[in-house]
Amino acid sequence: MPETSYAVLGVFETPDALMKAIPQARAAKLGTVEAYTPYAIHGIEEALGLRRSPLGGMVLVMGILGAITAFGFQYWISAIDYPIITGGKGAGSWEAFIPIMFEVTVLFATFTAGLGMLFLLNKLPFFGHPVLSSKSIKGITRDRYVLAVEAESEAFDSAAAARTLQAAGAIEIEALPAPDRSPFLTSDYILRTLGGIFIACVVAGLAMYFATKWFPVLAPMKYMHEQPRLNAQKASDFFKDGHGMQQPVPGTVARGYLPTATGTQEEAASLVNPLPRTPEVFALGKKVYTNRCEVCHGAVGNGVGSLTAAYGAKPANLQAQQFLDYPDGKIYWAIVNGKNSMPSHAPYLSERERWAVVDYVRALQRAQNAKDEDLKVATR
Amino acid sequence: MSQDKNASNLPASWLWGAVALGALGVLGSYAAAGPERFWANWVFWFVLLFTLGLGSLFIVALEHLVNAKWSVPIRRIPERLATLLIPSIPVGLIALGAIPVLYPGARPEAAHHPLLAGKAFWLSMPFFSARTVVALALCLLGLWVLVGGSLKQDATKDPAFNFKARKFAPAFMAIFALVVTLVAFDWISGLTPEWYSDIFGVYVFAGAFLSGLAATALAVLHLQDQGRLEGVRGDHLYNLGGFLFAFTVFWSYIGFAQYMLMWYANLPDEVIWYKVRLQGSWHLITLVLAGLHFVLPFFALVTRDSKKDPRRLRRVAYLMLGAHVLDIYWLIFPILGASPRFSWPELSFALFFLGGILLWARGAMQKGEDMPVGDPFLREGLEFRL
Repeated sequence: MPETSYAVLGVFETPDALMKAIPQARAAKLGTVEAYTPYAIHGIEEALGLRRSPLGGMVLVMGILGAITAFGFQYWISAIDYPIITGGKGAGSWEAFIPIMFEVTVLFATFTAGLGMLFLLNKLPFFGHPVLSSKSIKGITRDRYVLAVEAESEAFDSAAAARTLQAAGAIEIEALPAPDRSPFLTSDYILRTLGGIFIACVVAGLAMYFATKWFPVLAPMKYMHEQPRLNAQKASDFFKDGHGMQQPVPGTVARGYLPTATGTQEEAASLVNPLPRTPEVFALGKKVYTNRCEVCHGAVGNGVGSLTAAYGAKPANLQAQQFLDYPDGKIYWAIVNGKNSMPSHAPYLSERERWAVVDYVRALQRAQNAKDEDLKVATR
Repeated sequence: MSQDKNASNLPASWLWGAVALGALGVLGSYAAAGPERFWANWVFWFVLLFTLGLGSLFIVALEHLVNAKWSVPIRRIPERLATLLIPSIPVGLIALGAIPVLYPGARPEAAHHPLLAGKAFWLSMPFFSARTVVALALCLLGLWVLVGGSLKQDATKDPAFNFKARKFAPAFMAIFALVVTLVAFDWISGLTPEWYSDIFGVYVFAGAFLSGLAATALAVLHLQDQGRLEGVRGDHLYNLGGFLFAFTVFWSYIGFAQYMLMWYANLPDEVIWYKVRLQGSWHLITLVLAGLHFVLPFFALVTRDSKKDPRRLRRVAYLMLGAHVLDIYWLIFPILGASPRFSWPELSFALFFLGGILLWARGAMQKGEDMPVGDPFLREGLEFRL
């Protein structure tokens, strides 16, 4: 035979004849022995000496990787990057991760099984197996059992392969020449594939466009958009006053915030300053007092500030006995709500800054009414 | 393997000795450890015996339901194991004595309990007992039709039995669902009647089916060691192993789904059941249970060869039986207190019941044919290839 061979095919009439021929064909050691049958035959993989597919191991590894990935993702998001307490559960609650871990495990495993089989093991893209263009292919898809001795190199002896198959009981022999083009991925296959994908995308896009245009019944599902939820700045039938946004329940304190002074000044008397008396707190109080309070109340809190005379108001003398006797909460209330011609400072100051000012006012009062033992503390 | 062989060949006199010694301890435990502990042990073994028998009967019914051929050669094994339902009848009737002691719903105070008042009739002693008697009777019916008919077929070789069983199996599935749910709700979750879980019957079913499968696999391997069950090959073992593998995952799925929903909702009457099991030593037992009932068997059976390998399968079958025992222990024993009880009363009960079960199973394994020789599908089953 002048041309190079792809394989020599031997056609058998029964699966038993094929199974009997396999050991003889393999013993001749002429090339790779491959079988083509219309259906699976029990025991044929052992007879052909096929290796166990590595797919199972790949699926196991990727499945475990999927579980780890899903756990890592969720743990990083909900416990490290942006910890949110939901439903009173801790940020890193693994129980809530399990369903997603399960899904991602299955996703990784099935994708590995499907794509690994197609691309790694079946070596797709693979356009047109040579056996598909043989004369025996009709029989293979119907009632014939074919054994192929495939050429492994240029030195393949197709005549010897034909003799071996004949001796093993083949009723027909077909020499299959090597295909004139590679069955594997080449540039024109790539172009054809990409072109096909492009045309499919255009057709599908146009179809979707006209389908939704001409048949408005097919509008995309909007249930998620139209659900009866509360939207910011929007009306709602749910509440009696028709507002979507509601005031917080009286007396509630938002997470991460300090209690604020609502109600009357007398009610606020019981509020306790939650800040520790540290140098940082006094430094903050001093800064805020200097910026916001000093112009009226004066540097030492005696009600004589730089603006007092020009403004014509009478700011409170914080050194007066009345204010020395005030509990912290009442000073705090005045900062939040304002008093007489003093406006509310709540819009400008955080709770922490307000309480720091209260501490600083306390320090000013004590400095102006210092006792001997205060001196000892100061000089120590 | 040789060690396993020896275990299966314990002389009968030893087993009788274990039963006698266990019986002494059982009686002594009632006097020395108090009725609560005695009845908790008794209910524990009743549930184990019952789930083992019912799980085996389920395997038989499943084969008839789906008209399976591969399992015909080994069907006699679950049929024999299903006869454990017969001793479970006296054990269950004696267990009725536990109702006034262990089951708060059956006490007179329940009528005034805000959570139990509405269920008082359902949980009351007479209705509870009636349900148990009906459940046991229904099991006996299934046993009589499916196993009795199959044994008769050995002599008659009459294929009419196959048609009859195929018609009866769907009805039995409905009966089975009812029985396993009733027993799970009454005997196990009835111990804490404030707690309820819709999926609990399915959870107990998963454990029962697994225990039946594991016992079947063990019995098949033991009989093969003795040179019996000729023609049963790796392909049949593979299917048994596959079932074991699938249902360890199913059990974990149901168990975790039940836990996660309750954990998330955090309703006091639901989480209390888990809170008890997630504190102190019970927490450790919960983790061990998850490891033995899911993680270990999952990885032991995940590869294809491991399901065919008799040595591996035998170890996993022992493991699954042990895990099922631990599962039922985990379900029942927390009612006795925050620290798990295990000492001589539990050991005596184990000697008594394990000895009894082994004696019964061994007796059943010696009777009649090892395969359903009258079944027309036996040859097809023997020719089964993966």
